[in-house]
Amino acid sequence: MMAHSFAELVVGGVLFAPFVTYLVAAIVLIVVLRPLLHVVGFPKMFSHASVAELSLYVTILGLLMLLF
Amino acid sequence: MAGTIAEPPFTIAKIPVSSWSFAIRVWLTMILALFVSFWLQLEAPGSAAVTVGILAEPTRGQALDKAGFRLLGTIVGVIAAIAITGLFSQARDLILAAFAVWIGICVFAANLLDGYRAYAAVLSGYTVALIATQQIDTPQHVFESGVSRGAAITVGVLSMAIINTLMDAPNRHPRLMAQLAAIRRRVREYASSAFRGEPDKSTTFLMLLREIVALRPEIASVALESSSGSVRGAAARGVAVGLIAELQAARVLNNDAADIDNAVCDQPRTALERADHADLPVHRLPEVVAGQKRVRDVETETSAWAAREILRRDEGVRQDLLALRLARWPLRAWRAPLYRSYRTAVESGVRAALWLAIASFFYVWAGWPASSVSLSFVALIIGLGATTPNARGFTAITLIGTPIAAALTGILEFIILNGADAFPVLAIAMAPFTVGAAVLMKSQNRLWSSLGRVNLLFIPVILAPSNPQTYNPQSFLFASLFLVAAASLLLAVQTLIPPVSDEKRRMRLLAEACIELQEPARKNGEAPEEATFRDASRIGQFLALGGAQDGRALADMLSCFDQSAMVRLCDAKLMLLIDRPLAPLADEARAAIVERDIPTLRTIALRLRETASQTASVEADAAACLMLISNILDRASGVDFSQDVT
Repeated sequence: MMAHSFAELVVGGVLFAPFVTYLVAAIVLIVVLRPLLHVVGFPKMFSHASVAELSLYVTILGLLMLLF
Repeated sequence: MAGTIAEPPFTIAKIPVSSWSFAIRVWLTMILALFVSFWLQLEAPGSAAVTVGILAEPTRGQALDKAGFRLLGTIVGVIAAIAITGLFSQARDLILAAFAVWIGICVFAANLLDGYRAYAAVLSGYTVALIATQQIDTPQHVFESGVSRGAAITVGVLSMAIINTLMDAPNRHPRLMAQLAAIRRRVREYASSAFRGEPDKSTTFLMLLREIVALRPEIASVALESSSGSVRGAAARGVAVGLIAELQAARVLNNDAADIDNAVCDQPRTALERADHADLPVHRLPEVVAGQKRVRDVETETSAWAAREILRRDEGVRQDLLALRLARWPLRAWRAPLYRSYRTAVESGVRAALWLAIASFFYVWAGWPASSVSLSFVALIIGLGATTPNARGFTAITLIGTPIAAALTGILEFIILNGADAFPVLAIAMAPFTVGAAVLMKSQNRLWSSLGRVNLLFIPVILAPSNPQTYNPQSFLFASLFLVAAASLLLAVQTLIPPVSDEKRRMRLLAEACIELQEPARKNGEAPEEATFRDASRIGQFLALGGAQDGRALADMLSCFDQSAMVRLCDAKLMLLIDRPLAPLADEARAAIVERDIPTLRTIALRLRETASQTASVEADAAACLMLISNILDRASGVDFSQDVT
């Protein structure tokens, strides 16, 4: 299996771990998805909507790491 | 079904369970933040713990809101630190001067904002102190220091978000909903007292107004709670703005109560009282009121119109409350603008800059080692004080709180831990201090609550947890002494140049209200309700500065509020006549309002009423509005503003 290569993020000479990029990308995705989640009624499906949203965030983060 | 009587909260050791769970959440978050920072080998793990202390807010939305603004403020502050160090490197005095100016700018901005926005403004001020001033002798490390501080803050924020989510920290919106519904009930009671012809209760009006306006920053926090948060926030804003409009309508009716014919008000009164008990559909009530066709006298009809106006407003508030409960977009998206007094803000900013300049002059003159650390504490206290109503009071509390925090940290570091290097020991040893301070913070007593907050903040600052912990008594003594020295020096400077006094601020607010009344500033696309909310927020600020004791100024302030709200409403109603045959009459009325020409206004109102075909027509509405404004102007003409403006 080929080794996974990561795009390096360098800001002002400071090297950021690839994980940080994934964290930020997942946050951006969640922010974009929020209006859609509201329309679908996602918060109403769960008794603890905040836990459900955190789980969704972790899922997106995992998918990003798996796919990219 | 839930009863109407609130159950007493379950308590442990006379402290509500909610306070305990909050305190335990804070402790867990602090431990998680420290653990992650140690594991990632961050350079400033202490900043992560301090972040947790600062973000200790009782609800999830508030904590997230504050966290967002903390990140934003830090980024702005780091950029400013790099810019100041880059511009004035090798010139200590210039750096200090630039730094004083920057603090002044930040305090100016904080005075124009409220809630966590104001906090972000002062944070970007004192971040420069923590980064640039502490590195004043090694400017090449400013960037690294900024990055490590940013990383530690991010770890603190993430720990807080995760612990609050998993530990089921309460959301803000259910309580906000209950608070708004309770305020609506009280506004209706206030309105129905007008129907009963009871005398005007200005104190009730002021209390309600203050409570509504005080909810403004908390409404903003709801947006971050879940994916429906922004919708709920918009609905809650609509409720708050609508409630102010309803309250204003009720006040108009209350002031005109003497003129009310009992027969006119029978039906609206029973309608309000009936709908008080449950969520009865009230959408048919305006028609009931409109059915008062037998009333032909204009004065009485004006009161009937005011009663209809209350019901119309109340219906809007009811729909927005429903939207808040069901997380639906409200019918109208209203903003809730805040009144900003630029001159007071400039004065506060200049004073803050002077305080810092004098303090830095003193430190340069004293030539102590590590006095840059102490100077950064001065900036920290100036900044945090600017977000409280009484800056000097905050410094005094800090001066009382820091020795306590230093003593507690000494006990923690040199008696309890005393050389321990295992993380679980640190976690257990920190528990009583963190939990105790957090429980204290939730106390109803303002003094205890402030002391709790100061301790929660300064224990991690003085302890400065690091891996491995150095247990250096000298650095502990220096940190505590410099903190106490900073607080006492600042208190001395603030005695020399006191903050802008409450009375001066009040007089300025009143003068600005009077000027605005004479030359109304039209903001583009702002609804009259939004402008009225801004006026209400000005009264809220006035009351927060002890305005309730100053009876005369308060009466003037309320008179300005009544007039400007009614002028705006009249303007809006007259605008509707623009395409109708009566447009010239509307222009005349507008000119008469500007001239404060009461007889002409009454004549125009009568002519409009005569031409109106039915009670609910646009012309009749405008006539009623003109009649009300003439009454308000009539009452206000007894108050002489010229003395107060000067």
